[in-house]
Amino acid sequence: MIELQNVSKTYPLRKGRRIILNGATITLPWKNIGILGRNGAGKSTLLRMIAGIEEPDGGIIRRSKTVSWPLGFRGSFHRDLSGLENVRFVARVYGQNTEEMIEKVRDFAELGQFYYEPLKSYSSGMGARLAFGVSMAVNFEVYLVDEIMAVGDARFKAKSKQAFMERLPHSRIVMVSHAMNNLREYCDTGLVVHEGKMTYYEDLEEAIQVYNKLNEE
Amino acid sequence: MKALRIHIRVILALVLRESRVRHGRSRAGYTWAIVEPVLQITILTLLFREFRGGTGGGTEFAIFFATGVLSFNMFKNTAGYVMHAFEQNRPLFNYPMVKPVDSVLARVLLDVATNLLIMFIVISFQVFVLGAPGPKHVPLMALPLFLLASMALGAGLSLAVIRRFLPSILNFYHIIMGPAFFVSCIFYSMSSIPTRYRELLAWNPLVHGIEGFRIGYFAEYSAPDVDLFYLFTWVAVLNCFGFVGEKLTRFRQQ
Repeated sequence: MIELQNVSKTYPLRKGRRIILNGATITLPWKNIGILGRNGAGKSTLLRMIAGIEEPDGGIIRRSKTVSWPLGFRGSFHRDLSGLENVRFVARVYGQNTEEMIEKVRDFAELGQFYYEPLKSYSSGMGARLAFGVSMAVNFEVYLVDEIMAVGDARFKAKSKQAFMERLPHSRIVMVSHAMNNLREYCDTGLVVHEGKMTYYEDLEEAIQVYNKLNEE
Repeated sequence: MKALRIHIRVILALVLRESRVRHGRSRAGYTWAIVEPVLQITILTLLFREFRGGTGGGTEFAIFFATGVLSFNMFKNTAGYVMHAFEQNRPLFNYPMVKPVDSVLARVLLDVATNLLIMFIVISFQVFVLGAPGPKHVPLMALPLFLLASMALGAGLSLAVIRRFLPSILNFYHIIMGPAFFVSCIFYSMSSIPTRYRELLAWNPLVHGIEGFRIGYFAEYSAPDVDLFYLFTWVAVLNCFGFVGEKLTRFRQQ
């Protein structure tokens, strides 16, 4: 599904560089994968590289499936454009049927008349609901999740989760989380990121054990 | 082929988005983008005509000035708009198919189209209402305009790349573009300038684009020093620097 070949990534610091990945080669299967690692190990960076948002310094990342942006991401929404206009832009960029997608998001996000108002008039909950609706309206084969899974009140959370579960027969999830319960709920396999290296475990429980040992060090 | 289709799709989506966003605060939106410069040029024309003491034929000066200021503005506006493409569109690069270069190309397309429309309106008004002479040779006008637009792309992209490291380059650009209005043959012709200053003026690439545009517009317009190849050299150098520099410094993106 996702193939990393000799991938390296570092960040320049004031003194020296921080190494995220150091020539990592790995092939991730099309499965529900939980990414584990200590704070600052580079989990989110890895997720962003898988999404294609960030380029590695060296090496190649190949994807044979369509990959989402990290779920709930809404940085691209423009304050002066309406919810509908923002959705239209994403639909165009992803080559989706524009009208169909506008309808899907309208029905899912439950914004009422606010769908036609500029985003600056939205509450933060409304923005989050719109973002989640957009993520769900594009049929990705792999959904990337960075910590936050569902948004809104309890009812909307349940609805989001259901929408997500309906996807799972056709889609997989790659998730970064510190909450083991979350990982256990969605993932079957694990990927541990530690000191510039990645190790893949077929069994999530095994990955969690390794991760717990790292924390004891 | 598929990659090219995605590029085109993304650029079109960006053009449509930018055209809504750029003048978004006002309801009239894009209309203002047209009306504002049209009024501005009208006022400037009247002002300059007063300073010239009313001699030298009213309509003739108006159309002469219009050809200068319109082509100058095309360069200045487009380059100034393009240089902000990266930081104003940064969140959009979270969609992996939206590349920084796409945002730059979208802005060039949008602004050049807007400026051509303004040009069309101002010149039409002068020709049909004020009775100014119409354009003589449209293909001959198109080449210098195309070169000016390409130079705006190269300059804007280069400045955007430099801004990744040196944000204050913006001030430098404004310091240059202010006086550029007076040394780009906008309200006078190159042939009206004494020879020793003319050589100095010829270093300014904009002069060649603007005077070149007039050669196409007016019958028997004399501008012997115009060298479109010199302008083209600037276009090539700036675009090479911009595109290669963008590729090499992408790590400064985040």
